Amino acid sequence: MGRIKALVQKEFRQIRRTKAYFGLIFIAPFVQLIVMGSAITNEVKDIPLVIVDQDRTPSSREIINRFDAVPLFDFRGIADSPVRAERLINRGEVKAALVIPRGFEGEMIRGLMPEVQVLIDGVDGNSAGVSLGYITSMAALIQKGWASGMAGAGGMEIIPRYFYNPGLESKLNFVPGLLGILLFMMTTMLTAINIVREKELGTLEQLMATPPGGVQLIIGKIIPFTVLGLVQFSMGLIAARVVFGIPVAGRLSLLYLMTLLFIMSTLGLGIFISTVTSTQQQAMFVAWFSMIFALLLSGFFVPVRNMPPPVQILTLLNPLRYFMSVLREIYLKGTPLRYLLPEAAAMGGMGLVLITAATLRFHRRLE
Amino acid sequence: MEAKLRDSIVEVRELTKCFGDFTAVDRVSFSVGRGEIFGFLGANGAGKTTTIRMLCGLLAPSGGEGAVAGYDINREYGKIKGRIGYMSQKFSLYNDLTVKENIQFYGGIYGLSPRETEERSAELFGIIGLEDLKDKLTASLPMGWKQRLALCASLIHDPAIIFLDEPTSGVDPLSRRNFWKLIYRLSDMGKTVFVTTHYMDEAEYCHRLSIMKNGRILEMSRPHDLKVKYAVESMQEVFLASLKEQS
Repeated sequence: MGRIKALVQKEFRQIRRTKAYFGLIFIAPFVQLIVMGSAITNEVKDIPLVIVDQDRTPSSREIINRFDAVPLFDFRGIADSPVRAERLINRGEVKAALVIPRGFEGEMIRGLMPEVQVLIDGVDGNSAGVSLGYITSMAALIQKGWASGMAGAGGMEIIPRYFYNPGLESKLNFVPGLLGILLFMMTTMLTAINIVREKELGTLEQLMATPPGGVQLIIGKIIPFTVLGLVQFSMGLIAARVVFGIPVAGRLSLLYLMTLLFIMSTLGLGIFISTVTSTQQQAMFVAWFSMIFALLLSGFFVPVRNMPPPVQILTLLNPLRYFMSVLREIYLKGTPLRYLLPEAAAMGGMGLVLITAATLRFHRRLE
Repeated sequence: MEAKLRDSIVEVRELTKCFGDFTAVDRVSFSVGRGEIFGFLGANGAGKTTTIRMLCGLLAPSGGEGAVAGYDINREYGKIKGRIGYMSQKFSLYNDLTVKENIQFYGGIYGLSPRETEERSAELFGIIGLEDLKDKLTASLPMGWKQRLALCASLIHDPAIIFLDEPTSGVDPLSRRNFWKLIYRLSDMGKTVFVTTHYMDEAEYCHRLSIMKNGRILEMSRPHDLKVKYAVESMQEVFLASLKEQS
């Protein structure tokens, strides 16, 4: 016990003297959440739009007025011709164009179904889909207005209500996820680099000539970095509350328990990386490499269920995937522990395996 | 061998270490008595560091047997670590801790209570002369003082033997001489000092000396006897003559 205490105390003394840690723990969560939390969004707003009016009738003018009035669209005016509208899209000045053909009103009066053409910049498929959705529902709305003026028009109306995130704000989805990413970065990379640095400096060789065994040395690293991780996570929680006004819907104690399990897996990974690398650059590279993988396969940007099945299986090995869904569940839905047991078991199990593997690789002798 | 263990603290026979095809240490045998200053002299790559690392339980020998402080180097290397002091070639205490914090740390990992560490370090600081510097950041110390601090850390648990791997490399001549005065003092206190060096003048200070080349021990005797054997005045000449004779 005394030995572990000495190791932990030494680590904290070093951490206290390293200014970079202060920034990483207390400032990074705020900066990252403010910048990334505001930048990462899949909401589509202010879609630049032009309308080509070849009909020039009261009906076509009404369509124009309605699109102009809605803040979702940034109405850039009337384009002379479809060719002109296409050029504007090519130049990236607008993302969408609406073409109202000649005879639109006439056909409508005769009871036919006139067609309105929509041209969309499809480079960003996600935004294009969302834009088309908005345009379609706008059109439906206008049509409904006209229909209700006529006799005998009946229909069905769908009133959606979104649970847990009523305004479908992407910050509610992304901010909790960001906390997980920050924690992953902090714990995996810093631990790996810290230990490899001791290898490079030769202080680890000196330690290996003293009585503590590999398990004690590893516990002496796990304790301080777990504390650092928890402090950083707490700063992240405060930042999420202060900057974005996002409260935690679930139990804080459960959130911390899950965080602890997650940290076990990321620290395990960090220590394991330190046992397979011998320079700080190598450790940094391997840590980055695994971080990008963990990030892309976490469900942060793309929901896991949208990934191809083989990739979905791969995500089962990613601790961040579990923590990502745990964070969103607890943060937004207040999900209790009994529904999160599989995630808890996965993260805890991975932590155990990684730490054991690292301990086995962490020789008491040099090679 | 069993009988000899009582008066010798290091005893190895046919100790060998291979890295792949390369034999770094080739069947060396020697013993070191208690309180002795035993020197390993040789050029870089002669196998000195590898030998020390095997004796300290840092490297597994490829062959041979031996005991350090009464423990078998093949099987009980974990126990050896608590009984010896080790100072590696490269300064390897923590530069971002103060002198006192480094000592507290090493006291702690050798299993001393904070009180014991305090008492023991006061005693060592008295001998080694670090008292005035104890609140200084280690990074700010000159190399000579860093070496003394490292020596202090390796002595904190009062080991019977200390292994010093080129303790004076990169240290100015005056500090080197002071460091050797300390080594003598330790020897007077009954400690065994196992030291490697490539400085010939330092070799003169050893009670007994072995000259290594290509993993083999060429000569092992008292400095005076070696000079007599080769009929020369200095260790420098002994060293060159022994290498020549070998090749």
